[in-house]
Amino acid sequence: MSEPTSEIRIRPLDEMDISAVTGIDEKISGHYRPEVWERRIGYHLRRDPDSCVGAERGGRLVGFMLGEIRSLEFGLDEPTGWIEVLGVDPDTRGQSVGRKMAEAMLDYFRAQGAHSVRTLVDEDRDELSGFFSSLGFEPARLKPFVRSL
Amino acid sequence: MSMMKTSTVPKPFHDAVLKWRDEYLPDYDFLMENWEKHFPTEPKFQLCAFRQMGMCTEIECGDMKGKPKFTHAADMLPEQAHHLFGAIRAQASTEFGSIQQHRLTLARAQEEEEQFWILRMMAEELRHGYQMLHLLVEDDWSIVSKESKADLVEGILSMNTGSHLLGAFNIDFDSFIDNVVFCGLIDRVGKYQLAMQKVSAYQPMAESMPQMLREEAFHLAAGVVPMRRWVTAAAKGGSFVTMADLRKALNKWVPRALEMFGDERGGGTNVKFGLKPMKNSEAQAQYVEEIGKLVRDLNVRYVRAIDETLSPTQADAVLDRLLAEGGSHLSQGGGVRAEDLLRLPHGDYFRRRGVPAFRMVGAGGETYTDLPSYLRHLISSLPDSYRASRDFKDYVELLTQVQQGTVKTEDAAGRMPSLRRVGGACTCSKAVRWVVDDQPAQPAA
Repeated sequence: MSEPTSEIRIRPLDEMDISAVTGIDEKISGHYRPEVWERRIGYHLRRDPDSCVGAERGGRLVGFMLGEIRSLEFGLDEPTGWIEVLGVDPDTRGQSVGRKMAEAMLDYFRAQGAHSVRTLVDEDRDELSGFFSSLGFEPARLKPFVRSL
Repeated sequence: MSMMKTSTVPKPFHDAVLKWRDEYLPDYDFLMENWEKHFPTEPKFQLCAFRQMGMCTEIECGDMKGKPKFTHAADMLPEQAHHLFGAIRAQASTEFGSIQQHRLTLARAQEEEEQFWILRMMAEELRHGYQMLHLLVEDDWSIVSKESKADLVEGILSMNTGSHLLGAFNIDFDSFIDNVVFCGLIDRVGKYQLAMQKVSAYQPMAESMPQMLREEAFHLAAGVVPMRRWVTAAAKGGSFVTMADLRKALNKWVPRALEMFGDERGGGTNVKFGLKPMKNSEAQAQYVEEIGKLVRDLNVRYVRAIDETLSPTQADAVLDRLLAEGGSHLSQGGGVRAEDLLRLPHGDYFRRRGVPAFRMVGAGGETYTDLPSYLRHLISSLPDSYRASRDFKDYVELLTQVQQGTVKTEDAAGRMPSLRRVGGACTCSKAVRWVVDDQPAQPAA
């Protein structure tokens, strides 16, 4: 059950959040994948722990966002913030959890000298496209390519 | 844009750290040669001091709250500077001390990835020690110490397992389980200390903390992630690291971790002087809650690895029932017995400092009234290899004296023998002896 009256607190994720992140992912995807999140969160904590944030309400993690700043990739010379993973507990959707995490992440990218932030969204995920559009994201000229192996 | 200032200590001290590194971190070059393989895209390790610019410049807690932070120790109250000086030395001691412990069993890791995590963590601990030396040599500490800077640095770099300032750093590692559990438990205490010192009234100390905390986040993961993998492997029938092994490792390290916060009655002076925002007992209580969550997460991981049909809610319910009532849970993937689960030892168990020092309390909180029974309990609840250590022998001898009434409990904490350099000033001096302090240790302020 959501607790709309308690405040959402945005903070850096840490290794103690692995179980909660696994739980949110399980609620969204229906798959229990702890090893995926152990590896993924471990990587981010190693590389730049400030670039992964969590949203907490009443002491419980209700959302997470993983990102990082990269340079010299895809022909982008300048430091660029990338939002890579976003998860919000379905029970707390519609309460600006994602927006608050994104704002914190964008503040961090800005503080680190990034002038732009990028992400990739599946065309079929209208709600995600809408979410990023509402944050001021626009379609970019960078075009993703893929081929099967 | 946030600014990080980097610097190195004067060459003689920098060289002394490099010499120390060659002695106690001989795999450093191997780490650097393989950095790209294990940590591609991640900034390469750099031995230097980092200072975060743009931090709060007003004292954030205590009697001087709101006044400008100190940039020089000489401007502080003598007692304030004395406490700070002790904290910096203790912090430096722990950073260098942990490397000396980790190196003993680093090579015994079964997975290359985990071994490199620990190796990288050791390099970063070296940097943390370097950061503390930087604080000592970049300021004038004559207000609290008549030692020269060279002697200060040499004194810290000459400490060894057995002569460090905090008990947890005087215990030898016996297997790679210790490397990992130490990261998950003892580095977590470090995180608390660093987080508290981030508000220090001494600006250079506060500015030193952010980068150390970033690195510490990985150190904790280097403990927690392998532990999570191990309980999963144990659930699948793997026998390399069992739940019993992990339970005993918790029993070995949790008591030492709790003591790192200082005496439960102390810490008020640090708060008063604006050096830390919490008293010892407050920080310790938060820590206990956090490691309680860690143990529960590990148990849930274990239960769900055995019974993959359980939903998160069902797994919680099974765990609650087993912990409260005992018994077992059967499934197609095997069974979970209550006695297989990890449990946090009681806060009074196996303590030698602080309020519960030398009480005969069992891991489950039960009280023992006779020494032989308690020793049997300790023997069965601690790792086999640790029971053969000097540290355990010293504890048992002292506990025996306390029980016989030949040593007072309040004096016993300061009587744990430690390795000391008793002659010679050279860092390579072999003149170390087991020494018992004459003066009982004072409760940590």
